[in-house]
Amino acid sequence: MSRLVYVLNGPNLNLLGKRQPEIYGAETLADVEADCRKQAAALSLDIRFHQSNREYEIIDWIHEARETAGGIVINPAAFTHTSVAILDALHTCEFPIIEVHISNVHKREPFRHHSYVSSVASGVIAGFGTQGYTLALQRLAKLIDEKKA
Amino acid sequence: MSFRVMIINGPNLNLLGEREPEIYGATTLAQIEAACRSQGGEIGAEIAFHQSNYEGQIIDWIHAARKEADAIIINPAGLTFTSIPILDALKMFKGPIIELHISNIHKREEIYHRSLVSKVATAVIAGLGPKGYGVALGAIAGILNPA
Repeated sequence: MSRLVYVLNGPNLNLLGKRQPEIYGAETLADVEADCRKQAAALSLDIRFHQSNREYEIIDWIHEARETAGGIVINPAAFTHTSVAILDALHTCEFPIIEVHISNVHKREPFRHHSYVSSVASGVIAGFGTQGYTLALQRLAKLIDEKKA
Repeated sequence: MSFRVMIINGPNLNLLGEREPEIYGATTLAQIEAACRSQGGEIGAEIAFHQSNYEGQIIDWIHAARKEADAIIINPAGLTFTSIPILDALKMFKGPIIELHISNIHKREEIYHRSLVSKVATAVIAGLGPKGYGVALGAIAGILNPA
């Protein structure tokens, strides 16, 4: 199984560090990417790290990943709660998917409590701040190793 | 009398044939397009056939259809259940609109039950597989050229 992992980020995450730091923390998405690259190297994973505010771009990356990758870490941000199209795209993938949220979405407004993506995710991480990404990569590496064994 | 039909397909339908074939079948979108074009030739329908994963692109095609098409067949896929902008765009189209789903969405998970597009569709086809497109084209011929 491929050791390539896509790390996909949804709308408004480009503003991480500037956007409501009391909820999302002071780390920028570039910091998160650097953390992910360091963690990936330690786990012998290759990563593609992307962010978009456009739903279709995220769908196109998922289509790309299904051909080449061994797993996806996805923080769909607000699309989590609205996008059947992203759910459908994830349904076409046969590898593990880890859903990540920086904040504990369940502590927040009720409209953030329901996730379409969770119905197809192998696991969900919420509320661990940006550390959630490296935890997700560790889990994904384990799942990829287990499939190999 | 010849007429023009715009057939619009939403997200993930580019993967038709590879994508969960137990739900969506083995026919590809290119094969559906070929079947629509061949049927269009027989019934005097000029066909424009589109697919996009991009909601904005689908809205642009619906706007274009106001001038370029007499009827729309739309399979909005996952956007069926979430897109108010697509619903709003279809409201501005004067001709018949057939909403089409390859699978019988009502038999599936609850998230696939509530279509926003149905509120403006002339008629809805669900569960006929790729053959639904041919049925929709035939129905449009009947609506536009009543015997």
